[in-house]
Amino acid sequence: MEEPRIGVYLCWCGTNISKMVDVEAVTKEVSTLPYVVLSKNYKYMCSDPGQDLIIKDIKSHNLNRVVVAACSPRIHELTFRNACEKAGINPYLFEMANIREQDSWVHTDRSEATLKAIDLVIAAIRRVRYHEPLQKRTVNVDPATLIIGGGISGMSAALEIANAGKKVYLIERADHLGGQVARFDLTFPHLSSAQQMIGPMIQRVENHPMISVSLNTEVKEVDGYIGNFRARLAQKGAEQPEITFGNIIAAIGLKPFDPSVIEEYSYGKFPDVITSLEFEDNLRAGRILTKYGKEPRNVAIIHCVGSRNRKYHEYCSRVCCMVALKFVHEIRAALPEANIYEIYADMRAYGKGHEEFYAMTTHKQIIFLMYDQQKRLPVIREAHRDDDCNMLIEMNELLSGIDIEVPVDMVILMVNMEAHENVKEVVRTIGVSLCGNQFFIEKHPKLDPVATTTGGVYIVGTCQGPKDIPDSVAQAKAAAARILATIAQGSVPVEVTTAIVNESLCCGCQTCISVCPYSAVSYDEIKKASVVNEVLCKGCGTCGGCCPAGAITSKHFTDRQILSEIEGIMSMSY
Amino acid sequence: MSQEPTKPKLKLAIYWGAACGGCCVSVLDTHEKLLDIVAAADLVFWPIAMDIKYKDVENMPDKSIDLTLFNGAVRNSENKHMAQVLRQKSKILVAYGSCAYMGGIPGLANFFSKNDIFKRAYEETESTFNPEKTYPVTSTSVKEGTLEIPVMFNDVFPLDQIVDVDYYIPGCPPQSERLIEVFSAIVTGIGLPPAGSVVGANDKTNCDECKRKKSDKKQVRKFYRPWEIQDDKETCFIEQGVICMGPATRSGCGVRCVEGNSPCRGCYGPPPGATDPGAKMMAAIGTMINSNDPDEIDNIIETIVDPAGLFYRFSLPGSILGRKVI
Repeated sequence: MEEPRIGVYLCWCGTNISKMVDVEAVTKEVSTLPYVVLSKNYKYMCSDPGQDLIIKDIKSHNLNRVVVAACSPRIHELTFRNACEKAGINPYLFEMANIREQDSWVHTDRSEATLKAIDLVIAAIRRVRYHEPLQKRTVNVDPATLIIGGGISGMSAALEIANAGKKVYLIERADHLGGQVARFDLTFPHLSSAQQMIGPMIQRVENHPMISVSLNTEVKEVDGYIGNFRARLAQKGAEQPEITFGNIIAAIGLKPFDPSVIEEYSYGKFPDVITSLEFEDNLRAGRILTKYGKEPRNVAIIHCVGSRNRKYHEYCSRVCCMVALKFVHEIRAALPEANIYEIYADMRAYGKGHEEFYAMTTHKQIIFLMYDQQKRLPVIREAHRDDDCNMLIEMNELLSGIDIEVPVDMVILMVNMEAHENVKEVVRTIGVSLCGNQFFIEKHPKLDPVATTTGGVYIVGTCQGPKDIPDSVAQAKAAAARILATIAQGSVPVEVTTAIVNESLCCGCQTCISVCPYSAVSYDEIKKASVVNEVLCKGCGTCGGCCPAGAITSKHFTDRQILSEIEGIMSMSY
Repeated sequence: MSQEPTKPKLKLAIYWGAACGGCCVSVLDTHEKLLDIVAAADLVFWPIAMDIKYKDVENMPDKSIDLTLFNGAVRNSENKHMAQVLRQKSKILVAYGSCAYMGGIPGLANFFSKNDIFKRAYEETESTFNPEKTYPVTSTSVKEGTLEIPVMFNDVFPLDQIVDVDYYIPGCPPQSERLIEVFSAIVTGIGLPPAGSVVGANDKTNCDECKRKKSDKKQVRKFYRPWEIQDDKETCFIEQGVICMGPATRSGCGVRCVEGNSPCRGCYGPPPGATDPGAKMMAAIGTMINSNDPDEIDNIIETIVDPAGLFYRFSLPGSILGRKVI
């Protein structure tokens, strides 16, 4: 190994770092460490002059290693790697110490924060000494896209990609496109028709020359990796020819909660207790009638059915409150004389125009009754034959504290959005992870909300979590944009910091194979050793961690690098 | 092994620190080959076999001993003193055996403090009768003068934590055949790797050389001690639920324990590249537990008897862990 020549740069980040860390003192303290050629500080290292400082020093001082102590590497590691590359050294000969999020922002004692900054910088200096150059790798991208799910999310993404002239395979398990939206009558908060929105969209999708729609179809198996997938499809159980594509969008949607498990509501027992989706069917048919064909005089809408209740689902389904208010408008328009009861646990109206929609609904002569979601659900029971209603809802009205009986002829249950029933199968086929509520997990909840940890696999719509139509469409178009970007590039970079097996050290115990979350490790019977598929490998390090023979190394996370870093952080004693 | 008559004989020393004597016996276990060793080398110091005093060694010129095989860990001031003397007097100093190499079995004492050990030994053992709580002292006055005994350290050290070591020969004890190989390499000067290397062992693991059948189906629901199972003599021990250190242990012994239907105990230490065999093996074992239920996993882990002693049986003082701190 060439003799390390390390340049160390400390960032003030304006006052973000410098107000809590004595940047000058740190610069001086680390300047005499072994292999440190120079140490400097600057107001904003990420700025062009800051980067130029590094580039000039690399050239004029023959630096071959660079440490920048600044913010989180999540933010600017790439910036400084690129600066190193511009100056002609391998970008992986760089290490970043986080003295902002992990130091100046979270401490209140300047002298202690300064000592911590010294530790963090020493750790980075000790580590970077053992960094090795790594080569960037790319794979070509097949321009076709597989979209699983023909609801509004899947169709929106399909149109976006197809309109850019790229091939889309749109797979739908049902015998029609449209998903849940096809069941809706009006949409909130503008009360515009869902049918007039989804109908033409379905036509555009079906007639689009770049979209191949397969109904009654399921994905049996997906092989490959980003840019180069292939799948076997089955239409009504019959195997279809294999297709190849470069990216996948999972838009498999949701399953409405089955309220028959909630005893209090007697769903399935009383014919006029119906779900919100069944009520949409009524509305679409243009009539609101009880099972006996009569117009109901009293209609109750119960919120949070299966939602926000630890017994069923703890999470909020986000759209039901507004759908319930939408029902009020539609019922009031159809039945001007009916009594309408909104039996709610909480009113959530956070979206654009939603609070206004709620305010507008309160003028529709309806009665809002609040119940305690955790302690006591309302109970629906049959009315006495002398009562002039079909059913009675017994409840404790939370705001008044009074036990009341509400006469009703029809009860609409605002059912929760559950994860789709075949979610586990899709997880297995496309390799994404599930959260505790069985929704797909995004790569980063804020900064990468439609990607997954599997390259080339995106998640959109309600399979990622309950959401309304605008959010679903936004996600769909975001995923489409991400995919079109990789298609436009023609190739995508794949992980550089992968695991490698030293075949001569590998003893073939195969411990690594079962632990790999990306199915990237396999056993080569001829070599009698494990091999890592470097395109599938994400460099998570699990195999290296559990390899008892020390035969697997995670590039950029070698034992030598990590131990040096730990020794560095422990090296000062105060 | 032949020796050119013109070449002066090598000077060989063998010393034991905190050791059981097995390493010295392994030298004798070379049987008739010992005669070759003696033909090639003069034994200048070997406490188990020869009556030479420490002061005689201290008076030898520096670097006058060609080769010292130091076995045993460094446990007290006497071990440390002799390690330093022998380093000074020897051209090549070899850490011979698991104790000198990594701390070995005596190194398990690093799971306790000196005080813990003294309390147990001088007050608590079932056979101790010591109502006055008499503890050993390092200096005692008698009418003939003052008697000194070595100071026991709080820690057990591998040799290279005390002095620079040229080579390591692992094993508890090292296989005698491997000693002959290394010895002839030193005599002839041919095939000696760079200083600091582990010699007399291979670069692969015992698991690699093991003939038992293994697959990726290591799905353990209970860990067994070897006597608790009916070993089928064919299947990988780990797949039968018996912890075998083979995957984390350097080969060179000929997989003797497993050949004798006993799991590998790890005396040859980690293969090159693995820094902490105990941690490595625990990480590997962790992946083999066949349950996703936290309570059940705890119960399965509870079936591992003495995990610290099992995974670090020979390697504690030389490992990253080093000792028990709290």
